[in-house]
Amino acid sequence: MTPIRRFLAVLGLAIAGAGGTVAAAETPGVSRNEILVGSIQDLSGPIALLGAPVRDGMLLRFEDANAAGGVHGRKLRLVVEDSGYDPKKGVLAARKLIQRDKVFAFLADLGTPVVMATMPIVIEAGRPHLFPFSPHESTYSPVHPLKFQMFAPYQDYMEAATRNMVQTRGYKKTCLLYQDDDYGLEVMKGVEAGLAKLKQPLVEKTSYKRGATDLSSQVARLRAADCDFVVLATVVRETVAAVSEARKIGWNVDMLVTASGYSSQTHELGGKAVEGLYGVSVLPHPYEEGANRQLADWIKRYRERFGTAPNVWSAMGYSVADLFVKAADKAGPDLTVERFTAAMESLHTPRDFFGSPEYRFSREDHLGNRFGRIAQIQNGRWVILTDYLK
Amino acid sequence: MSGQASPQHAAAVARRLRTLSAGALVAAVAVFVLGADYALSQAAFVATYAIAGLGMIVIVGQCGQISLGQGALLGLGAYVEALLVVRGVPAPLAMAVAVAAGTAGGWLASLPARRLGGLYFAMSTLAFALIVEEALVRAEALTHGAAGLAVPTLVLAGFPVDASWSQALAAALALALAWIAARRCVASRLGRSWHAVREDEAAAAACGVDVARAKRAAFAFGGALSGLAGALYAHWIGFVSPEQFGLMLSFELLMLAFIGGARELAGALWGALVVVALPQAISVLTELLPAGTATPAGLESLLFGAVVVALILLRPGGLTASRTRGEDPDLTDTA
Repeated sequence: MTPIRRFLAVLGLAIAGAGGTVAAAETPGVSRNEILVGSIQDLSGPIALLGAPVRDGMLLRFEDANAAGGVHGRKLRLVVEDSGYDPKKGVLAARKLIQRDKVFAFLADLGTPVVMATMPIVIEAGRPHLFPFSPHESTYSPVHPLKFQMFAPYQDYMEAATRNMVQTRGYKKTCLLYQDDDYGLEVMKGVEAGLAKLKQPLVEKTSYKRGATDLSSQVARLRAADCDFVVLATVVRETVAAVSEARKIGWNVDMLVTASGYSSQTHELGGKAVEGLYGVSVLPHPYEEGANRQLADWIKRYRERFGTAPNVWSAMGYSVADLFVKAADKAGPDLTVERFTAAMESLHTPRDFFGSPEYRFSREDHLGNRFGRIAQIQNGRWVILTDYLK
Repeated sequence: MSGQASPQHAAAVARRLRTLSAGALVAAVAVFVLGADYALSQAAFVATYAIAGLGMIVIVGQCGQISLGQGALLGLGAYVEALLVVRGVPAPLAMAVAVAAGTAGGWLASLPARRLGGLYFAMSTLAFALIVEEALVRAEALTHGAAGLAVPTLVLAGFPVDASWSQALAAALALALAWIAARRCVASRLGRSWHAVREDEAAAAACGVDVARAKRAAFAFGGALSGLAGALYAHWIGFVSPEQFGLMLSFELLMLAFIGGARELAGALWGALVVVALPQAISVLTELLPAGTATPAGLESLLFGAVVVALILLRPGGLTASRTRGEDPDLTDTA
């Protein structure tokens, strides 16, 4: 009898747990003194280079808010779980954050496979799923009361960026070098859509496998096609390899890299070879030199707190947490999921000291921003050339 | 077998009892500390990994071969399940096809064994895994390529298996079936031929064992279990993409077999417990560190690595192996 009874008890607990989220009088993760927020990051896997600064950026914003007295008197606490980019660990982390830690919302989960595996669990538990670092359409469309996103798919940025570059600089033969995966294909769709609006074809396209270091044959092929403008759907290392290769063979073609290549590492690794490279920026890199007073202060505080200079990912982490703080503040002292999402749906934030875009959410649109800017590497740093391209 | 010495038999029973009570204790602590939902969700993954681990143990521990591509067979099972269920095929039927696909994949992966042996054959299984991963990316019309595929909830007899307790139950049932099948195989003539091949291929061949056939059977059986595990995994994750079934998963499964102990079937369960649940336990423990400290990135992986190294140093034959080195339960059983 005992095992059966135990089984029934467990069953009862599980059912109570499932039903509890609906019937609970108290909002999970919200107490009189505290709001608990969960985040599933990659701190040990292939994109840990992004995960650590994103986490630190979020921590800094929450600490700033707490130092200012919290949100309606409640302190913010971030619980970070490491998925190592493994969806299995991601699923377990989501269950832990929901059931054990009882977080109020999920903020900036990182990595497409992890986000795709965990989002249904988060939504089913009735928690807001906010601003995941996965430019996947399903994170905001079709509109769901609990899903909000501030990073548009690459396709959107690249369509506008390609169109702007071709229109203002009069290129006639646009080509594409892309990573052979969903990221590369997404960029290709954007580039083709941009060119189609200008009634131009994509003259040549060539791909490489993720992790490739030698891109000489691809660059030679693009040169043979006589391209005058090359879009790079590459990440940092491949960007440097492609541009260096072109310059090495004396080909001085204009190149534009996606937001994945917009990183200080690109010019740190590439040095002189990547001078003049164009890039798409969603949020400017926080350079110490020439920073406005507020930004300089932020960089100083970040450095003191984490012992390292911030990068664009730190700024994104900070911005993501900033949106959360603003929405939680707007939701009022009686914080519930309904009040929070209602506040999100009318949230409109102005540009901040990073030079971020305006984020605007509505009942019909849960994607806060669709626009990027064109930047260029000049004298060893990214310089923003245009405003956000609409 | 019937003439087994009674002290040995009693020792075996005692060992089994100890294992069972240790397992029950671990489960009770997990439920108490973690909460039922989280613990059951882990149990579902542990059972699923244990199924794949059983397949690995048959190949590695029983037949003495090294497979570096087992993750790809899991991938085959997961994709077959996902593609069929999306098209409206009932899940149990799809699972049978997934098992068949895993079997076929395992058989295919074992073909180079006709010509190759040892490390060279292991390399060929690695190549097989790379080919499968690449094929999943390339067959875009079918698999959506690298963008991945959403998998609907598992529905068994009209009952949706979406809560963690039902997932744990379904996985445990599947594990029980896999366990019975593996036990029967290992105890059969085929199992004895596996052991003979493992100990000495030349001697086995001289005794009339068809070595190539034994290896093929081990891989096909291991593939079938991987296919089943993959099908379940696809439902638990709800999203499949080729990168999930890369070399990392294959190495994880190999590690599982060695940590648990490849000579005994129970090694699969212990190995799965270490590979799936230990990182979670470490993550819970690191929360005991002073609040407000930004724990260094990768601390949990570092601790996991340290624990695994310690386990291997203390129990070189795996968790289920007897403490005295060199003692082989199979050999003592058959003696």
